[in-house]
Amino acid sequence: MAEDPREPAGGEAHGEPAAESGPGPADTPAEHAGLAGESGERLGSQPELLGEMKALRRRARVARHAYWFPLVLFGVLTCASVPFYIQPAFRQVPAGSGIFVRASSATGPWLPFLGGSPGLVQSYLAYYWIVALLGGLVLTQLWYWWHARRIGLQTPARGYLLITTVLTVLAVVIPPLSQVRSPHWLRFMHRLQVLWPGDLVIRGTFPFLIIAVGLLALAWAERSRALTVTAVVYTGAALLASLYDVSNITYRLGWNPPPSGQSLPSVLLPALVLLVAGAGAFAVQRLHRTTA
Amino acid sequence: MNAAAGLPPEQASGGHPTNGIDDTVHQRHRLGILTITAEARRADFSYLREALGLTPGNLSRHLTVLEAAGLVQVEKGYAGRRPRTWVRITGQGRAALAAELAALTELVRRHREAQGSQRPRIADGDVHGRRR
Repeated sequence: MAEDPREPAGGEAHGEPAAESGPGPADTPAEHAGLAGESGERLGSQPELLGEMKALRRRARVARHAYWFPLVLFGVLTCASVPFYIQPAFRQVPAGSGIFVRASSATGPWLPFLGGSPGLVQSYLAYYWIVALLGGLVLTQLWYWWHARRIGLQTPARGYLLITTVLTVLAVVIPPLSQVRSPHWLRFMHRLQVLWPGDLVIRGTFPFLIIAVGLLALAWAERSRALTVTAVVYTGAALLASLYDVSNITYRLGWNPPPSGQSLPSVLLPALVLLVAGAGAFAVQRLHRTTA
Repeated sequence: MNAAAGLPPEQASGGHPTNGIDDTVHQRHRLGILTITAEARRADFSYLREALGLTPGNLSRHLTVLEAAGLVQVEKGYAGRRPRTWVRITGQGRAALAAELAALTELVRRHREAQGSQRPRIADGDVHGRRR
């Protein structure tokens, strides 16, 4: 924004803010109240002033936008989770009995929110998502910190980080806490079962919904319509992946994954949404910065 | 600073939107500082200087005025060995900015209405505007 030539002499020209050194443009109510003559001319500058503020806001917003990174990061982390969604092989139990069950070597704490149903996914899926979600948040925080230092504007991403962290922690602690039966005074914990998300946890895709909520919070922080649309589309994809076998759709489209990989379309669909949106956001944000 | 900052202009003024205008905020560059800082968690001194086309001295003086009015907070720190100054808008600053923009918008609306009412009227029955 250029210096305002209408500011009074002896103000900005001498390095003093105008309001301290004398009346600025249209300072008195009388000037504003009159709508003709000189005051009318001054009022004519108000739309220009509003337009300038709008342009400043837009420019700052465009410079501040940096959400391509978390989109690509969580897209890549989702793709990297694919081996954990390969269904365990069948084995005879006991040997030679003719009864086949999926091998499941689930050990350690019970983490159905992040790890899905035993037998449908690999047993270490929950551990992967704990590390991926919290590690992804740390990397996102570092990214926004670095971006703020580089361009001089900091995105208020704290809400996004807080919401995603709290949801991840709740996803870890609610299942074991809701099973507590003793001591007696802790039995009220079983009421936490009302927080169970039902069928959403069966396929091990509940982490996608945590990411989705986080993206909606990030869209609010970034004040970006494009990210809001992306977050809504991603939420839809995550819900579909959690409640429906997406391989039924890909089968009609000509891709029929092997039986052990039937979860792959449900994992790759949300990942694809993130990667495509992230690549698009990267291109647009880079273009804006080049032309700015 | 106007004590009524934060209220809608009509309420703050008891009538005319000019009474909702804050003398501290109603200055082009200070309004720009508040607009930019409201858009981010905090803004760097260099970004503000560049975006507003101000000299460091002028920007410092505007920031002093805004800080004294409680509309922004100035945080000084270091990025490596380089000193760095960050500016953060306060809740009071956000309210003052919103009130100022609302007052300006209302003023512009009234001005346009007044201009519209001053246009020459066409005489009744003469759709071509000819005098009878």
